[in-house]
Amino acid sequence: MSAGFDMELILSRPYLTRKQITRAQRNTIPDLRVYTQKKLQVLKYLSDLCVYMLLPRRTLETTIYYYDRYHLFNVFETEMVYPLATACLLLSCKQTETIKKLNEICITSFRVRKVPNVTTEMVEALRKRTLQLELRILEACSFDYRINNFLHIDECIVKAGKKISCSKEVCYTAWLIAYDVLKTDIMLVIPQHSIAVAVLKVAEDLLKTNNTAWNQDIYAELSTDIKSVSEAYFEVVNFYINMFDSCELRRNFVAPPSGPAPEITLKSFIDLKQEAGPEHGLDEVSNEMVDRDRLLAVDMHSQTVRERRHVLSRSLVIEEQKSLH
Amino acid sequence: MSNPNYSKEKKVGEGTYAVVYLGKQLASGKSIAIKEIKTSEFKDGLDMSAIREVKYLQELDHPNVINMIDIFMAYDNLNLVLEFLPTDLEVVIKDQNVLFTPADIKAWMLMTLRGVYHVHRNFILHRDLKPNNLLISPDGIIKVADFGLARAVPGPREILTSNVVTRWYRAPELLFGAKHYTYAVDVWSIGVIFAELMLRIPYLPGQDDVNQMEVTFRALGTPTDKVWPEVSTFPGYNKLQIYPPPSRDELRKRFIAATENALTLMENMLMMNPHTRWTTAQCLECDYFRELPEPSNPADIKLSK
Repeated sequence: MSAGFDMELILSRPYLTRKQITRAQRNTIPDLRVYTQKKLQVLKYLSDLCVYMLLPRRTLETTIYYYDRYHLFNVFETEMVYPLATACLLLSCKQTETIKKLNEICITSFRVRKVPNVTTEMVEALRKRTLQLELRILEACSFDYRINNFLHIDECIVKAGKKISCSKEVCYTAWLIAYDVLKTDIMLVIPQHSIAVAVLKVAEDLLKTNNTAWNQDIYAELSTDIKSVSEAYFEVVNFYINMFDSCELRRNFVAPPSGPAPEITLKSFIDLKQEAGPEHGLDEVSNEMVDRDRLLAVDMHSQTVRERRHVLSRSLVIEEQKSLH
Repeated sequence: MSNPNYSKEKKVGEGTYAVVYLGKQLASGKSIAIKEIKTSEFKDGLDMSAIREVKYLQELDHPNVINMIDIFMAYDNLNLVLEFLPTDLEVVIKDQNVLFTPADIKAWMLMTLRGVYHVHRNFILHRDLKPNNLLISPDGIIKVADFGLARAVPGPREILTSNVVTRWYRAPELLFGAKHYTYAVDVWSIGVIFAELMLRIPYLPGQDDVNQMEVTFRALGTPTDKVWPEVSTFPGYNKLQIYPPPSRDELRKRFIAATENALTLMENMLMMNPHTRWTTAQCLECDYFRELPEPSNPADIKLSK
């Protein structure tokens, strides 16, 4: 082992571009279709757990962020998904101040999965595996607590909706869409408040309310920008076009009692996409930059790294560089 | 990749969730404190206090709030690198060899209020302010520390635990078991610290939770519905002995060296009704900080004989 490989300095980057995510997942997810299928099962499991334990949407949302983020730097293993999802939920409960005892989470985990003849040994084994994963998840997030802290999609829908005077029906539809958003990995790309604005826009377009003039001023007022919102907008519309049959919006949508009461079908989203024109969103980085990006190839389990430092500010990295020369 | 950046030199303390070491930043030779988080001793995983500490210190950057320099994982242990702060206000208050002046108290209050104002304007409640958590840097600057009990301002429907803040510094709404409370709990704690700085002994030293109510209300008067509407609806209110609030003269006798403006500030920080208690902004703008003597220069305050 070389003495020069003792320490790694990692600058936290809570959001990555599509290319960067694809590159990171190339190292960790052998088959993306299996991963996506399993994630739907995991979301169902976590949703049931949250309903059973009376946890709010923000806890579920943060759990999914951790789950997706973990798999950027750690290999996806199908047999690990439930302990991992449980660990993500445990951490999310702590992060969102909706604390539950780990033992309670583990017992409920078996209950919602309908596992028969659960023994104390089985609960203990799940508890141990969950604890082992907790630090790994935090490490995948570079111990960066700035996200999933004050901003959550559902709360932002209400706040932004109120600010731009959206109707209750629009906000409710946006809230339904926000659940389906958890099936995508857009939270790794865009901050939650921008996703909330995007789903409000999708909801308004679906209900044809024409309430908001979506321009730079509105985006600025909602502390976001057109590129971020467009990125999320197209992600949501594409999701429904590809997976309309398995979406929650279709099952739970209630047409507003007054005004135009459109039915939501797959065609609604195809029309939205057509009206929105060519896909646009965040600027993408070049392939060369992705190739050179060492964060995307970082091995969190490397035995040669004795110390791994996580910093939040670029200035600290620059300072460090200076001190080395 | 490079060599490790920090050295741990001496263990200086151990709490429930961390061991604190004194160390050095190797590149600069600067003294630092390293908090090694115990990760394997808790049945619910990483301790909530550790999570809160990291979470809120990452959000805050202010001269009067402790600075978290770095986070690192070494040998599967989580370590927080904090700025090195050699002493705290509790040590200073207790050290009978240290003489301090009203100007020194004013400087400490000003720095504490500035730090807590910054915490509050970032929508964070500290919930454990006490002299022991007001650390002092080598150049005399007060730094608000220990965010292990801190939390973000809750939504209107969120229920909070009232079992926060070290007993002697606990606001009356917490003593009554309130499930909703505000930044005012921190202001109360600073008010008690202010009194303690002037008296040099703890102002409201309750022996247990019940006695704390007795001690608090005997010193400052039992709140009534007149000064705090609906206070009597708190469970346990009926069992209370009703004490009158202290008159200005009684306060003058108790705090001999305090000016009128100092007493006004203290009284308003120790208002029973949290809705009328001053905010940190009101405290910072009060006449006490405008009158003479001017606050001491922190670097000039002698903390050892």
